[in-house]
Amino acid sequence: MYAAYRAAIVYFVIFGLFLLGSGLSLFLNKIGYCADDISLYYLGNGTRSAKSVSGLMETAVPHLGAIGFFVMVAAHFMLFASKKAKLHAVKIATILFAASMLDILCGFFILQHDSVWIWIKLASFTVFMVAGVYLLLMVLFYALWHAPSQ
Amino acid sequence: MRFTLVKELRTDPLMRPLLNGVLIFIVAFLFVDIFLKYERTGIDVATISNTLYGNEEEFADPISEQFFLELLHAEIFFIMMTLLTLSAIYARLAPIKRRMLIVINVISLAAISEVVMFVLAYYVGSLFIYIWIVSFWTWHIGAIFVSTLSLFYLNFQRGG
Repeated sequence: MYAAYRAAIVYFVIFGLFLLGSGLSLFLNKIGYCADDISLYYLGNGTRSAKSVSGLMETAVPHLGAIGFFVMVAAHFMLFASKKAKLHAVKIATILFAASMLDILCGFFILQHDSVWIWIKLASFTVFMVAGVYLLLMVLFYALWHAPSQ
Repeated sequence: MRFTLVKELRTDPLMRPLLNGVLIFIVAFLFVDIFLKYERTGIDVATISNTLYGNEEEFADPISEQFFLELLHAEIFFIMMTLLTLSAIYARLAPIKRRMLIVINVISLAAISEVVMFVLAYYVGSLFIYIWIVSFWTWHIGAIFVSTLSLFYLNFQRGG
């Protein structure tokens, strides 16, 4: 692998970790990380208004575009890995696609006042974060130590 | 990055126009990003300081932490995708590989520094705004230079 591509992948991984970190900070700051906070954020209370469908769409639209792109780009760096590593990357990418889709859709389901979706949102967001970090570290490990030299 | 496998990139009837298009868009993005920063947060110490910390004399409120994080989150995504694409194209087209590697490292490190300094400027203090400005201009000017150079290599340089 050319040194330049290796460098580009390393920088991609660093920015990917920044992206996940800022996403986590934003989630904690904006929504919170317990069921009551999430319920308050989406459903509101006497003093705080509930989220509207169009408000949720404003967040959902850029994330649907960006997450699909991000997962594809990150996972495709495993293109030249062994068959076993590639299949593993596919599994992680599938988990990431599914978890992020569920995380995005949960907001709309929570508006239907079904509290089970609050827990599903928390779980899917956690799975997305963990799987995202895992995929990026896998890509980094492969790029630095396992990729062919040229 | 499948185009990294095409041998004759400069003469390929599909890849050449596609890369020209994406490079023009990257240059446009970088220029517009400078103007957006100028309008939104400012690109000099006084304006950035007013945006981040507010200004009592001018009755300007500081930006909220939520807005700051949203700005940062979107910024990281766009820098990441722009630099990855630009590095891959430039690495494929540049004739002197060693110089190319240095340029990619300088731009990427400046971009990382911009993100880190923005966070430190918001949470720690105004001292980091100075380094943020240097990093911001380094990676923007560097990326514009690399995009323009790649356009030149793609269209006016002979050979593979």
